[in-house]
This record gives sequence, C-alpha cells and structure tokens, in this order.
Amino acid sequence: MKDTIVIAIPSHPKFLAVVRAVTVGAGRLFEFDEAAAEDIKLAVDEACTNIIKHAYKGDTAGRIVIKYTVTRKGFKVVIDDNGVRAKPESIKGRSFDDIRPGGLGIHFIKRVFDIYRFDPKKKKGNRLILIKYSDRDK
Amino acid sequence: MKITIIVYKGEKVLELSGDIDMYSSPELREQLMAHIIKKIPSLSINFGKVSYIDSSGIATFVESLKCMKLYGGRLRFFSIPEGIMEIFRFSKLDRVFDIYGNIEDVFNS
Repeated sequence: MKDTIVIAIPSHPKFLAVVRAVTVGAGRLFEFDEAAAEDIKLAVDEACTNIIKHAYKGDTAGRIVIKYTVTRKGFKVVIDDNGVRAKPESIKGRSFDDIRPGGLGIHFIKRVFDIYRFDPKKKKGNRLILIKYSDRDK
Repeated sequence: MKITIIVYKGEKVLELSGDIDMYSSPELREQLMAHIIKKIPSLSINFGKVSYIDSSGIATFVESLKCMKLYGGRLRFFSIPEGIMEIFRFSKLDRVFDIYGNIEDVFNS
C-alpha cells in the first residue's frame, strides 16, 4: 500500500486550521524540511480557501476531501469538492506590482507545487491535482 | 487569533497572536476598520506572536494600508517572525509595508 493520508472537512473556514495541521504533519512525515513543510501548508490552505470562496461560494455545507500521497516522482495532493466548476483559464494571480487586496493565493500555491491542474475527467465539482517533484526529478 | 489593543507612548498598538487566515481575518478587519474609520493617524501592529498568515490576512492589511494612505495615516508593523517575513518578501510587500524590527524602532522613527 502506498503511503497515503486522506482527510475530509466541511467547507467552513474554521476547519482550515485542521487542514494546516494535517498538511504540515504530512510534509514532515514525508521528510520535507521545516521550511518546505510550511510552504506546502500555506499552499494547501490557499487551495482550500479558494474552494470555499469560489466553488462553494461561502456555503459551509459542502465537503472538501484532501488526499496526500508520496509517489516515486514526489509529493502529490489531490483536493476534491462538489462545488461550482472552476474555469482554470480564468485563475490568475495579480501582478506583484499591482498592490491591491487579493490575488496572491495562486502564487503561494505555484511557488511550491510544480504541477497545478484540474482533472478534466471529474464530471461534477472539481479535482485539483498538486504535485511537488522530488528534487532529483526536476 | 487573539487581538489585544494597548497604548504605547500615547499611540494604539494591536498585538496579534495565533493564525491569521480566512476564518480569523474578518475579525481583524473589523478591528482595523473600527480605528481607520475614525482616521486614526498611526496604528502599529505587533506580529511577534503571529504563527501564520495567509492571503486573506495579507489582503486585510493591504486594504487597511490603502485606506489609511487616503487620509495620510501610518500603518506600521514590527517584530515579524522570519517565516512571515519571507511571505512578505516573496509577495514584494516588504517594499510596501512600513516594517520595523521592534516597538522601539517604530517609535524612534
């Protein structure tokens, strides 16, 4: 059996603390150094925040499932929701020179994960796939 | 997240502790805006006990800074832990926010 951790939370912001605790724990378990584990924690938190805001539009009755796996290639996080379909082409962060609230979350995700993509095979809701390659595979 | 308001040398200082995220940032925004709406001339934020900040928390501070600049107010940060400072540097916000090492540096500036 592959090393896998799965958690499910309601789409309420109060559960983001749980996501962060599990994510940083998974990062340490999978032997990322402390700085990398913190960066992964922020990235997964931002991904879940986006789901609550944009997929569930603030509805706290939804469900978010997060699966962490270590594969031969690296560290993989798959996040499922049943909310409104994302439009990947419209997900863009703001320029760092355009000082305004918002638009940073996607930068925090992409600075850590080498792969950020939505699974087109998922028919209802979204499946976000994040992969951080092992350094040797870069 | 916990917010404590103190007065230091006659000016308001917000001492924050814990995590600033999508859940806690509305409360932080409410506290900041309660002062900004009264056009407080100077507001300092002690980050010394902040363990985490995400883009929601950062957005709250960017909004506050923009509001204070409109009337010439000063928003100043101090005692920022290295992990949070690294996020500000990555976002290039270290060039935007007024950042000091400690409370004495703020009030000697």
